[in-house]
Amino acid sequence: MRRILIIDDEDDIREVAALSLEATAGWEIVAASSGAEGIRAAAEHKPDAILMDVMMPGMDGPTTFRQMQQNPAISRIPVLLLTAKVQGVDQRRFADLGVAGVLFKPFDPMTLAQQISHALGWKD
Amino acid sequence: MSEAADKTAALLAKLWVKIQPIVEERMVVLDRASQAAAQGSLSEELRLEARSSAHKLAGSLGMYGFDEGTRVARELELLLGSAAPDPARLSPLVLELRASVVPKS
Repeated sequence: MRRILIIDDEDDIREVAALSLEATAGWEIVAASSGAEGIRAAAEHKPDAILMDVMMPGMDGPTTFRQMQQNPAISRIPVLLLTAKVQGVDQRRFADLGVAGVLFKPFDPMTLAQQISHALGWKD
Repeated sequence: MSEAADKTAALLAKLWVKIQPIVEERMVVLDRASQAAAQGSLSEELRLEARSSAHKLAGSLGMYGFDEGTRVARELELLLGSAAPDPARLSPLVLELRASVVPKS
């Protein structure tokens, strides 16, 4: 069973993503509401992938990602950024960071698992 | 619709009811910003708070099937990104946003 870590400061986004991935794909979900909490959760739960919001108070998504890259225990976990922004300049900036992909808000809860699988090249 | 999709849709409908206070809170911030702009007294703090509310609504309403709500909220976010948003555009957009999240019967 896949395990996904969702990092987002908005309760309803975490809740919708979790119920979507649990109900449509049967994946196990771990959630964190900040970048710092997400780094700790990644080290503790070793998820197969991380879905992380870009705009969060305190440490934002890109900064959290860079910190994760400094930690050998979690640096290989693929990270998908979740953003409401759709401008090309943002997408290029995120791609340059080295994340595994970018997904956009609002996502479709019925197809979120498919989008994640597609972005990460998962066949199951 | 598959069983998993049925289950997800049912859970989403329940969650939509549960988050109504949050949606209303964000709408109220936009109402206040619109009224303040109309009176020429929109503070920087309220403008930024309203832009943040619009951003959050834009990122979430579509998850519940309110695609038009996301579209209008995005327009509001852009408008509120300006240091002096046009009150003549702000007020109708806020009204449009409220109308867009009324569930279709």
